[in-house]
Amino acid sequence: MNKRKNRDLIKLKGIKKVYHLGQVDVHALRGVDLVVKKGDFIAIMGPSGSGKSTLMHIMGCLDTPTDGTYILDGMEVHNLDEDNLAEIRKKKIGFVFQNFYLLPRVSTEYNVALPMIYNRVPYGERKEKALKLLEKVGLSHRIHHLPSELSGGERQRVAIARALANDPDIIFADEPTGNLDTKMGAEIMEIFKGLHKDGKTIVMVTHERYIAEYAERIIHIKDGKIEDEEEL
Amino acid sequence: MDRGFLTELIRAAIESIRINKLRAFLTTLGIIIGVTTVIAVVSVIIGVQKKVTDTFSSIGADVIYIQKYPWVMGARRKWWEIRKRKDITFTEYNALKKYSTTIKYIAPEMHSRVSLKRGNKKVEAVEITGTTHILPKINQQYVETGRFLSEDDVRYRKNVCVIGTDVAENLFPEENPVGQYLKIAGNKFLVIGILEKKGNIFGQSMDNVAVIPYTTYQKIFGSRRSITIVALAENKDEAIEEIRWILRHVRKVPEGKPDDFSINTSDALIKQWNELTRSIFLVMIVVASVALIVGGIGIMNIMLVSVTERTREIGIRKAIGAKKKEILVQFLIEAVIVSLGGGIIGILLGFLLAKLSSIFANLPFAMPIWLVLLGFLFSSLVGVFFGFYPAKKAAELNPVEALRYE
Repeated sequence: MNKRKNRDLIKLKGIKKVYHLGQVDVHALRGVDLVVKKGDFIAIMGPSGSGKSTLMHIMGCLDTPTDGTYILDGMEVHNLDEDNLAEIRKKKIGFVFQNFYLLPRVSTEYNVALPMIYNRVPYGERKEKALKLLEKVGLSHRIHHLPSELSGGERQRVAIARALANDPDIIFADEPTGNLDTKMGAEIMEIFKGLHKDGKTIVMVTHERYIAEYAERIIHIKDGKIEDEEEL
Repeated sequence: MDRGFLTELIRAAIESIRINKLRAFLTTLGIIIGVTTVIAVVSVIIGVQKKVTDTFSSIGADVIYIQKYPWVMGARRKWWEIRKRKDITFTEYNALKKYSTTIKYIAPEMHSRVSLKRGNKKVEAVEITGTTHILPKINQQYVETGRFLSEDDVRYRKNVCVIGTDVAENLFPEENPVGQYLKIAGNKFLVIGILEKKGNIFGQSMDNVAVIPYTTYQKIFGSRRSITIVALAENKDEAIEEIRWILRHVRKVPEGKPDDFSINTSDALIKQWNELTRSIFLVMIVVASVALIVGGIGIMNIMLVSVTERTREIGIRKAIGAKKKEILVQFLIEAVIVSLGGGIIGILLGFLLAKLSSIFANLPFAMPIWLVLLGFLFSSLVGVFFGFYPAKKAAELNPVEALRYE
């Protein structure tokens, strides 16, 4: 475990992102260098507009940088096209969002199984896996419920189960407790802690100090640049 | 894409349609109308075609009718010229009988519509045919009971008649008509036979008839009007040429002038019929195409709405690893299911409509499998064609923007 922890999973160098809004160029990221090792639990903190979400989208292969290099698990990904990025997201990455982003009209179980559908996991296998993951997040009694029938905390746990469906190398969590009360937030963070203990790499965006403190390392970002790093 | 994956996409599509059932139904109305039109009209045309073919064969596919007027007006012929034609008379009949080598059987026909009476019973508008004993050999309609006209009946102008089943049923409801008497235009006639039942042609009974010797006919109705000569030959085309040649001589038609008589066969009618159905088909294709295009645009519209409504869902699917092609196929499947659903409803409605009209119009019912397949094919093609643009739009969405969409 400790030996593998040294491997660089994410290597960002000079990452820039410029949005063209009409005639104005918005520099969301102004050159970010960052290394995430396998098994790390990192929190990215920063005020709104600091570029932390953009950074997470680029690291999560949802978006591509305007400039800079991004090496994910030894592979250059900053130049990949959308389908190749989709392939990486499917195989290596799991997302947990502030707004849960579950499909509203299908069951909990189906939501968890969805990434496996795109990964062509056979029906029986993915059903089994979905049940196992729901058990892991403590929702085995909610498998046939629709998201609207669940509490916020339960929805986020479904989302975590979904993020784990294809055994990703890394989990990106974008303000995972942002829509939850303190108690539910704490429950969710305990799950992340457990995942980290199991060896998962986690990158979390948050603006709450006490949430960030669940991580091992906090990256402070401001105006599109890393301002400070603190080890906890 | 493996089968399991496609099944999932189909399930997702059905799910999304189920949620907006009414909207999907309204969307597909154009397709329903288009497919219903095609199925019903084609089926009815095929039914009519069958009926017409039967009818023509009952007219006698090989029977040659020599008449003053043509059955089918050619575009080049002018009706006022045709109106001036001399009558066809027994002169022509006798000449053909004497000179033709190709005609096997020949008979004259004279027609009138009069009412028939027996006691206080009466049948209106019976078609009276004056002819000879040869007629059954030409038109293949024989007597069922009793006998047909004999040579002597014709020679001695006897007041005898062979009646159709309608006349028999109406005037002699409870007894055998053969050997009984009835009155044609006030003249007493002995019934000697009943003709085989022929049924209806174009909704008109072919059994409300009576056949009498032409000599008797002339005695009662006079002989001023043009007659019809019917003939049967081994080789129809050869016979027609010979008949033309003989008639042009007899009627002294100058060389270079067109015939002043008509040789009618069912071929011309079939040709006319085929032209008619061709134009019905054309009109139908136009109507159906318009309906399908309107339906297709409806589908495109609703799919665009669906893509916009489900931008978030598309973002989620992309975030967890869906590729462009997979999103595209999902939305294409949805469009095809909607239009195919319309197609199936259209096929069923068309089937129903065709069945009903076949019952009410007393036509044979036909629903060939290719027609059903055509309905399926067209409706799914419309789905693919008009669903492609919205599906492409969905596939091209940027994942981050799609996720953020409110």
